[in-house]
Amino acid sequence: MMCSFWLWPRKVAQAGLLGLTFLSSIGARAQDESPKAIPILTGSGAYFTKVTGGTFQDVPSVSPLLLVPVGDRWLLEAKGSFSETFSKDRGDDYFENKASYGLVYAQADYITKYVTFTAGRFTTPFNIYGERFAPVWIRALQPGPLTSPITSGSSLGGMLRGGIPGTEKINLNYAVYFSSNNTHHLLATDRSTGGRISFFLPGPRLELGASFQQVLQADRPHAAGVFFVWQPNRVPLSLRSEYVRSSGLKGSAYWIESAYRLSQIPALRRLEMVGRGQQFFAASKLSAATITRLGALGKDTRQADFGLNYYFRNDVRASASYGRQFVLGNNVNIWAVGMTYRFVMPLGPTGNSL
Amino acid sequence: MKMRSLMSAAFLALAMLLALAATARTGGSKDASAPAAAATGSSAQDESLRLEGEKRFRSNCARCHTAPPRFAPRMMATIVRHMRVRANITDEEMRMILRYMTE
Repeated sequence: MMCSFWLWPRKVAQAGLLGLTFLSSIGARAQDESPKAIPILTGSGAYFTKVTGGTFQDVPSVSPLLLVPVGDRWLLEAKGSFSETFSKDRGDDYFENKASYGLVYAQADYITKYVTFTAGRFTTPFNIYGERFAPVWIRALQPGPLTSPITSGSSLGGMLRGGIPGTEKINLNYAVYFSSNNTHHLLATDRSTGGRISFFLPGPRLELGASFQQVLQADRPHAAGVFFVWQPNRVPLSLRSEYVRSSGLKGSAYWIESAYRLSQIPALRRLEMVGRGQQFFAASKLSAATITRLGALGKDTRQADFGLNYYFRNDVRASASYGRQFVLGNNVNIWAVGMTYRFVMPLGPTGNSL
Repeated sequence: MKMRSLMSAAFLALAMLLALAATARTGGSKDASAPAAAATGSSAQDESLRLEGEKRFRSNCARCHTAPPRFAPRMMATIVRHMRVRANITDEEMRMILRYMTE
């Protein structure tokens, strides 16, 4: 009884504080003259024919992304992926087809000026490829880099992230997260924690950053990475790279990629040339059984890729690439030819259109 | 008793978080009023804001992908909010890019 009496003024104060913040937010909303966001369905579709070491594969895929803004500060995001892989031999006989689907992320974001609070399943903020360059309509080369399997691609838990304007010469952005363990075969995540920090220099358009990840289960490996993205002002070139090193069985790797848009030549302005070099170093002293279990992660690998992208429109692109992979005793050619399409459709009244 | 103390602490933390968010929003609203004021200002001001928005777009969005087609302002508001989270762009940059993309 005494306890309840003692807590009563505090409860009133708490209720008052909440009420005050609610009123503040209503007041602030009334001043905001930005267009009101509506739910949209966006994403990408792609069709690629790939030839890896003589095995042909036709791969149609679709990745829908649902975006639902709530009020001025909330955003609900859910992205799925579906692809079907039809494999055929040199005699044009299909011998296998395999469907693959999954939930890439499903997250709720609460956005404030300097911090975004994210909860749910999200892409692990480690280096740059997974979060920024992985979508098929963005990636300059369809084969993924050798760094991707080293760290956890998805996480389930909470994340804080944001961008902080520094001076005119430098901006900071950051992300820290915690993930719980999930053993569902489609939604598997590790219990882990980590983050990323990067500095962007608007003058030379150079971004430099570093990432860290600590797995908190099994043999508790950690991974560290560094990356950069540079887009010189005077030429339509994009140069990017990342390096990852793991303390566990998954080794280390780097890739460096350049993409050059031929926009200075009128007849070829829609064409982009891409080149990438990469190398994977398997962990040392692996047993034969472990090498077998790790598959591609068990052997040193080098790979060089070259590609061309032709932009019919900003959202429709044809791509072709050739790569040569060097693995001890199993060198292969990797070809990919196909199209990507990015779509955006409103799920609510758009008001006036442009 | 211990449980109640914990709940009280959590309640207060939530209130502080909301207060922080509301403060941030108010700060952002000042920025939001800037485009409206600029619209009534001189064309030189408009051009300056447009160039600044384009610069922010090229610095942040074009680092990863080509420019999207222009959509209705309410669709762009959602797209830019999504990109604010994904690309860690700041509140001010988001407003400049949205203004540039919806002109």
